[in-house]
Amino acid sequence: MDEIVGLAPSGSLGSGYNLDAFKAGLEDGPDFIGQDAGSTDMGPYYHGTASMFLPRATYKHDLSTMLRAARERKIPLIVGSVFTSGARKQLMDGVEVIREIAREHALSFRVAVIDAELDKTDLKRRVAAAGGLESLGPEHGLGDEVIDRCGPICAQMGVEPIVRALEEGAEVVIAGRACDDVLFAALPIMRGFDRGLALHMGKILECAGISAVPCDLAEPMIGRIRRDHFVVRPGNAAHRCTTISVAAHSLYERGDPCIQPGPGGINDLTHTVFEQEDERTVRVTGSAFVPDKVYRVKLEGAELVGQRSVVMVGIRDAIMIRQLDEVLEAARQRALKRFPMWQEQRCVLDFHVYGRNAVMRNLEPEKNAVPHEVGLLIEAVAGTQELANAIAMYVRGTLQHASYPGIITTAGNLAYPFSPFNIPVGPAYRFSAYHLLPLADPCEIFPMQMIDVKN
Amino acid sequence: MPVRTAKILDLAQVIRSKNAGPFELTFDIMFEERLNYELVKQSGVITRELIARLYNVSNNAVLVCRAYDPALAIKITIRRPISSGDLGESDVYGCQQHVPLTTIEIPLAK
Repeated sequence: MDEIVGLAPSGSLGSGYNLDAFKAGLEDGPDFIGQDAGSTDMGPYYHGTASMFLPRATYKHDLSTMLRAARERKIPLIVGSVFTSGARKQLMDGVEVIREIAREHALSFRVAVIDAELDKTDLKRRVAAAGGLESLGPEHGLGDEVIDRCGPICAQMGVEPIVRALEEGAEVVIAGRACDDVLFAALPIMRGFDRGLALHMGKILECAGISAVPCDLAEPMIGRIRRDHFVVRPGNAAHRCTTISVAAHSLYERGDPCIQPGPGGINDLTHTVFEQEDERTVRVTGSAFVPDKVYRVKLEGAELVGQRSVVMVGIRDAIMIRQLDEVLEAARQRALKRFPMWQEQRCVLDFHVYGRNAVMRNLEPEKNAVPHEVGLLIEAVAGTQELANAIAMYVRGTLQHASYPGIITTAGNLAYPFSPFNIPVGPAYRFSAYHLLPLADPCEIFPMQMIDVKN
Repeated sequence: MPVRTAKILDLAQVIRSKNAGPFELTFDIMFEERLNYELVKQSGVITRELIARLYNVSNNAVLVCRAYDPALAIKITIRRPISSGDLGESDVYGCQQHVPLTTIEIPLAK
């Protein structure tokens, strides 16, 4: 039949996946295996530092099974956003992991390595040439100073660089930051299948079993695209896709279920129809890609805002809890006096009051509840780690022996869960680059290197 | 006579929140029973104004508020008060911000 079958092992590389269901998926004769390996979801730290979210060994463990299965069947393995933010440092780690697996299992193949990190000088020139960039979130534009303060800045590649790698004979593709759906849409689009359907199938597959029932990221999924529709179903015979579970995936982590922007255009799901094909399989039609006039890719980068330090304590005394706001404010005022370099060192002191409003902060509707116990996370951010530690510990000491009306606990106010009390957290970041960069050629900022791995 | 109402918690199967990128917070109210979904959708109770009130944000900060028939779901998206993980963060994934929605009540037909 005129179709392409894609296998998605896991919605989160490194978290493990159901190997029996993966084997069942392989029985369906996939034409490729796709795997997303990154996200902005875990916050700006991983983008700022270009560090991996999970231990390296967990990525290697998960990739090893996929790579061996792909080589055994001579089908491409396509991995994107390696590992976490998809910056060059992580990409090189990914290449090294692939080389190690190949060595250990005597595998030989052609691997395409696609870089998604921008050279900052080139980026500044591009921003200037474009007359500034449209922001998708930050209130500021992407000026030179912001670019300089950011860690690595990556662009989310579209389908074109992956297609190019496959066209040039790559048997394994290791890509830096990539829009997650394109990893699964590349081979279908290269073979002339409909772009809207291919991207929609990719969007579903990249989260693996999350669009099945029961919903589970660690359950492999199989997608089968044909000329006018695609079908999806989970590898695990005990799980199933329903029209609702698959349609609901259009909602997941997306602002609008019907209008889904990506590199170079919008995938319009307004007229998408979901039908139950059999008990475990859902058939999807009608998703339509609408190209933008100007091809643009999303930039991602996080800027350093200081060094963070925390102290976690518990408070059980009802008299103190009743006047906690006043006690905390008094401690803050003392800290401001004690550290005169506050402004200059961009110091920030924050109290997370667990048991009251630490989870929802300003969005919390229950503002007046008085808990019987609170967890207090004292957070300090400053220009140096030393100063952040000093502030966190100074505030802790102040609170430990703070006096307030009616106090009965004159031997100490805070309960510590362990020693040492202070945890230096390291650099703190904020997403600052989240802008759209126009490109003349969708591949022009995504250089590819083809490597022959021989064992 | 006061209008009889049903609690959204008794009508919906899933009420969840999550980041949609680092600058948006998105909510899904999902139903197993089509009748319950239609009841909530037709009631017109869930509006941008209601969401703005529940979360104490401006109407303009409510970016999306619509029903989505194929998934039997109501979709709501608001601008994040701060970007994910910025100073002052309390929920990096944004997955525990759904609670105000659980207080919604839907009037029942006479």
